[in-house]
Amino acid sequence: MIPGKYRSVSGRAANNVNCGLHLVIQTSSLPEKSKVRFKQVEFKLNKETPSFSGRLLQHDLERNYSSRQGDHIHLASSSMPSFPILQRSSEEKILYSDRLTLERQKLTVCPIIDGEEHLRLLNFQHNFITRIQNISNLQRLIFLDLYDNQIEEISGLSTLRSLRVLLLGKNRIKQISNLENLKSLDVLDLHGNQITKIENVSHLCDLRVLNLARNLLSHVDNLNGLDSLTELNLRHNQITFVRDVDNLPCLQRLFLSFNNISTFESVCCLADSSSLSDITFDGNPIAQESWYKHTILQNMMQLRQLDMKRVTEEERRMASVVAKKEEEKKRESHKQSLLKEKKRLTINNVARKWDLQQHRIPNIAPNQDRKVSDSSQDPSQLHGSTVSAFPEETGSLDSGLTNDLQGLSVTDTHLVEVDGDTLSLYGSGALESLDRNWSVQTAGMVTTVSFTFIEFDEIVQVLPKLKIKFPNSLHLKFKETNLVMLQQFNALAQLRRVDQLTIDPQGNPVVNFTLWKYYVLFRLSHFSMQKINGTEVTQNDMIMAERLFGILAHVASSELPQYRMISILGDARKKQFRYLLETKGKKPGLVNEENNDSKRLVGENTNRAMLNYTTRDFYNERLEEIKEKKKFCKMYMEDLVKEATEINMKNEALQKLWPQMFIELVRDAVIEIRNKNSYMKLCLQQITDQN
Amino acid sequence: MLSPDRLALPDYEYLAQRHVLTYMEDAVCQLLENKEDISQYGVARFFTEYFNSVCQGTHILFREFSFIQATPHNRASFLRAFWKCFRTVGKNGDLLTMREYHCLLQLLCPDFPLELTQKAARIVLMDDAMDCLMSFSDFLLAFQIQFYYSEFLESVAAIYQDLLAGKNPNTVIVPTSSSGQHRQRPPLGEASVLEGVEASLFSQCLENLCDRHKYSCPPPALVKEVLSNVQRLTFYGFLVALSKHHGINQALGALPDKGDLMHDPAMDEELERLVVRSRLHRTSWQHRAEEPRAFGFQRRDKLEARESVPSASAPSPCPYRWEPRE
Repeated sequence: MIPGKYRSVSGRAANNVNCGLHLVIQTSSLPEKSKVRFKQVEFKLNKETPSFSGRLLQHDLERNYSSRQGDHIHLASSSMPSFPILQRSSEEKILYSDRLTLERQKLTVCPIIDGEEHLRLLNFQHNFITRIQNISNLQRLIFLDLYDNQIEEISGLSTLRSLRVLLLGKNRIKQISNLENLKSLDVLDLHGNQITKIENVSHLCDLRVLNLARNLLSHVDNLNGLDSLTELNLRHNQITFVRDVDNLPCLQRLFLSFNNISTFESVCCLADSSSLSDITFDGNPIAQESWYKHTILQNMMQLRQLDMKRVTEEERRMASVVAKKEEEKKRESHKQSLLKEKKRLTINNVARKWDLQQHRIPNIAPNQDRKVSDSSQDPSQLHGSTVSAFPEETGSLDSGLTNDLQGLSVTDTHLVEVDGDTLSLYGSGALESLDRNWSVQTAGMVTTVSFTFIEFDEIVQVLPKLKIKFPNSLHLKFKETNLVMLQQFNALAQLRRVDQLTIDPQGNPVVNFTLWKYYVLFRLSHFSMQKINGTEVTQNDMIMAERLFGILAHVASSELPQYRMISILGDARKKQFRYLLETKGKKPGLVNEENNDSKRLVGENTNRAMLNYTTRDFYNERLEEIKEKKKFCKMYMEDLVKEATEINMKNEALQKLWPQMFIELVRDAVIEIRNKNSYMKLCLQQITDQN
Repeated sequence: MLSPDRLALPDYEYLAQRHVLTYMEDAVCQLLENKEDISQYGVARFFTEYFNSVCQGTHILFREFSFIQATPHNRASFLRAFWKCFRTVGKNGDLLTMREYHCLLQLLCPDFPLELTQKAARIVLMDDAMDCLMSFSDFLLAFQIQFYYSEFLESVAAIYQDLLAGKNPNTVIVPTSSSGQHRQRPPLGEASVLEGVEASLFSQCLENLCDRHKYSCPPPALVKEVLSNVQRLTFYGFLVALSKHHGINQALGALPDKGDLMHDPAMDEELERLVVRSRLHRTSWQHRAEEPRAFGFQRRDKLEARESVPSASAPSPCPYRWEPRE
């Protein structure tokens, strides 16, 4: 809004002042002879080419200047050869005492204006003036128009303390300077120049309009002090970021069209400006972004117009909704990446522990256990949690993530993860998690169980638990589980059903064997597996498996003596029962189920049931137990043998001695009976002795 | 049965020679272990079954290594069982690594030691490239020699090393448990132009060895035969010759002749029955899973591929019924 005093610049004309800074100058009709029409002049300050078609003020100056001199304007050469002296006729002086138009006069220099100290408006448009000079005496000047000249430097204005409007558009000005005394400046138009930075304007506290369009600005700052600035035109520059706008308490309109702004962060100070109501960003890279509109609207709730279009309530609502959604998404993804990172670190830790266990890497003491633990720390047994240093390969994380993670100490030695239908277990400690109370729904959804960095022998021991807790698990995956023998697959037979089996070659040497797949198909034929390691199982595979190992099963079942079969089966059942007993809460229902299962198993393929797998530890344990018995048996047999040999010896001795003994017996008997009488007496004697 | 020379032996010696005590002890031990189960059907029946299985050679199935190694009969039974169960692998033509054969061995004996398999593999591969693939028959024959005569071979190795080193062959050599094959062989370059040792000298030493020691060794006549064919021979060359010598194989009596290693008509018949049964089982399951397959076509195929059972070569119902030999 133009302040009141300015309104009455031309005394007789009534200025129609619109709110949009349209300076309209009307003058009354002029006398005939000047043949000048008076037109309504609209002087727009916010367009590139202010069409100050000052034809109204187009005196026949031109005519006068070219042809006669002296009528109205007298441009006489002065003592100084370069500067013409301007003189107007007194008539003109009285008529237009406060304004002087020297448009299109082909002036190359500012003429000396004599005797016009009351001048308020001076118009030098469309000339070739290179320097502002010779106007220092016009100390009442309020309006100075030097549009479309060749001025290279702002100078010569230091005395014009009343100047309110300074139009220097379309010149060759390279920097803003020498405006120190123009404290009343209201409108400063510097469009179409070569200005590269905003400076030396901090004292212009009355400035309301600043036009710096079509310059060479690359950024916007240094705007403090412009306490009245209402409109700032920065169109058609090369601006990449904007600062300090929040220091402009009155700024309402900001035009940033056709610049180089690409992110909201570069103009984020706009969000803090409560006075802004109108802003344009068209022609910037940011306007092409999908999030442009709602980001601007969300961050600048005070806006009324964006890109010259009114902001509707609907748009604002949409913007806030979208922004909220984005915020949530960002939070989610942040959480996700945090979780993922933690998982990765844990898995790394478990892998390292595993490698150590496998004696694959030497135990480098400083890098490993930080915790001062018990003395018996075998490198092959790392129990308990260890606080390990961050692995070197953290990868690139954004700064926010690393800050959060530094709070985490990687104390986990195992990881259990349920991801929809997959249960993943890393590290032997994870096996204990099977004891947890899994919700029926979660457990029911799990169809794939993946074991990594766990010894297969340990997995075997928890298979019964797995069968009960996760009844729908159909796909088993093993990686780095030390599967070395075909025999180990026998242990999988105790499960209810396995559809797919994946044995990762890494850490499972058994995969190097030519026959391992066939053995699996053979031993687990009652599962009718669909896939092994991703490849479908064909009829031919099954037949081949049967062909290769069928005799083994046949031998195992038919050629074993009965007691062996019973003992082997009994062993297996006993083992499973033992595992079941170890689980918390022995339920009678489970026991029955177990019996049913084993019965079914026996019914299906008895011949294969003989093929069991006992983990090495159990096997050795059992052998140890048997040692006692063996010792006893040995002693017992030795006793028996001793007895037998004694008897044998006695028998042999008897054999040898018998003939002799027999002869003696006969001889004794014959000698006795030789004398009948004495023999009779002897017999009677014996009878009486007996009584 | 009651031959005079048998009665001439003193008691313990007789028992030891027949390893009677080993079996008796093992029987009693098994009885103790499975008291509850066996008491159900009686001790007498248990003993019958036990000794029947000893006769048939099935007593070593899934037993621990110490038992399998205990008597020559056990060893031979084990060899036979291994042949029987995995002959099909050989018939299929698969070449396997030493580790895989070891795996197969472990299926029958869970704690079978790896060293034995390694030694057997060395014989086949002539101590070269231990990761090489081996055929079933090669491995089996070498394994037979290694397993059945393991102590003998250790002594032989010791003798060989001594001969190589140039020591006096007639000194008494007491083989230690870890000597022999674990000793580093001298690099070939040092053995000068001629490899190995002289056959005749070697043969003489072995004869002495056979006379001296009680444990089983190959029939001396056959050993002599092996050594008579060559001038010089290396240790592994000798072993390979031993393993491939069919006379020794027959003397052992565990396995059929090399040419017949893949033949076992009785088992083949059984196998066919099993295959058919398994296919029927799987097909019926698949019918339930609504996945039709042209099993009729395959069956015909299988019939064509089936080998003809040589009825002529089966004089008795069980041509390879194994009989114990010394």
